[in-house]
Amino acid sequence: MDIFDFFLRSREAQRALTEARSRLYRVAYSWCHNAALADDLVQDALTKALRKSSQLRDPKARDAWLFSILANCYRDHFRKRRDMDDIDELEISLEETPESESGRSEIIDKVRAAIGRLSQGQRQVVTLVDIEGFSYVEVAQILDVPIGTVMSRLCRARAAMKDMLLPELQQNAAATNRGMLRRVK
Amino acid sequence: MNKETRFSDEFLNAFVDNQLDPQEKGRAYAEISQDERLNRRVCELRKLHDLVQLAYRDVPAPPARTNTPAARRNRLGFGAAAAVVLAVGIVLGIQVKLPVAVQQQATNNGAPAASTVPATSAAVRVPSQHRAGRAPAASRSVAAVLPTAGPAVPPVAVAIEEPKLPPAGEPRSINDVHIGNVRNKVLIHIAHDDPLRLAQALEEIEGLMRYYRDTRQSAHVEVVINGRGLELVRVDTSVHAAQIARLQMEYDNLTFAACQNTIDRLKREQGITARLLPGVVVTDSGMAEIMRRQHQGWTYLQV
Repeated sequence: MDIFDFFLRSREAQRALTEARSRLYRVAYSWCHNAALADDLVQDALTKALRKSSQLRDPKARDAWLFSILANCYRDHFRKRRDMDDIDELEISLEETPESESGRSEIIDKVRAAIGRLSQGQRQVVTLVDIEGFSYVEVAQILDVPIGTVMSRLCRARAAMKDMLLPELQQNAAATNRGMLRRVK
Repeated sequence: MNKETRFSDEFLNAFVDNQLDPQEKGRAYAEISQDERLNRRVCELRKLHDLVQLAYRDVPAPPARTNTPAARRNRLGFGAAAAVVLAVGIVLGIQVKLPVAVQQQATNNGAPAASTVPATSAAVRVPSQHRAGRAPAASRSVAAVLPTAGPAVPPVAVAIEEPKLPPAGEPRSINDVHIGNVRNKVLIHIAHDDPLRLAQALEEIEGLMRYYRDTRQSAHVEVVINGRGLELVRVDTSVHAAQIARLQMEYDNLTFAACQNTIDRLKREQGITARLLPGVVVTDSGMAEIMRRQHQGWTYLQV
């Protein structure tokens, strides 16, 4: 029966890694705004994770470990193709669709565009903290930078996003309020 | 030192992200709640945090994987194991000497010569719960060392390939449907059970498919069914089963996708287990599928 136990354990670990795929993909997409590239990065990261799974000693640290592999794949991708891809010129999906005409989607497009205009480091920190809810310490481990750098990048990222997003949202809110008042009269 | 300078941006960000220790947070909370300007700054940071979460709650689905470098590496990596599995399977199954043809195939795949694999009477089975599990996009393999009876017999590397598709009888996922690079991509949404409109809708779909075929245009039409529309594709309620089967037989670029949320709701609220017509695939959420497709540039039509 030992061999079946081995299969079960091994498959359990593989299933856990596969379940992490959608979370990795969401973050990878937020970094590059390119579905095909994000999928390739996640595939690469999971392949490496499966290969190195024996190196993971503490299962609680699995998430941070997986995202650190993803961050390495992302960095390697641009290191290898430095002469071909410019991170600041990555396409950001803002194509017009019927759905994008609704208010919610318009906000989503604007937020994604704002994230796309941040520097690579700031973008990674803000998405890891806001989308995945990692602590500053975990983000520092994932990106292999000091925690002070995480805090300052986050601070600058949010300040830039505030300048890009909040004035417009406040204007929209004010316009909506004016509309409501006219209807009341 | 006034509050504005003491509460730096870094500190307020840490406050919003719950990164302060409880005592520090308690003190900060008391002071922030008494100061309107600090309160506003905290509100703005929380709003930004929520906006980023909202922006990436639904992201475009990844394109269908075909021949990426990672996938190629995977296949190469498992190629040898797959070849050995083939050899071992034949040895275990018929318990005769390995045919020459298999030896050649294993050698062609870059595996060690099949003649090095010893014959053994041990039967290796995959537990049924694994076979029934959800099939991933890429096939997974498990390699293990099989203990053998005789000391002189070397261990055998065994790899078990999972089937790429779920067993027959289970609906496939929409992710299993391959949609190539086609020119016309149309999504038709059905969410009601009015018999007259359903009949008309199927006629319209058939007319559309015929038009694309006759004009030799590459096209894929996906019919997303949710809410009360699910009756159209349930075995026990559909009055159009034959027509749907014929359409699917005739046009391989037509997909019927039922909403998993609706199926779950039916089970939860009415205790009905929906059995879908053959060939109908499921999508996690009808609404999410519609949004995904629209992001990918599909034309949306509601019946």
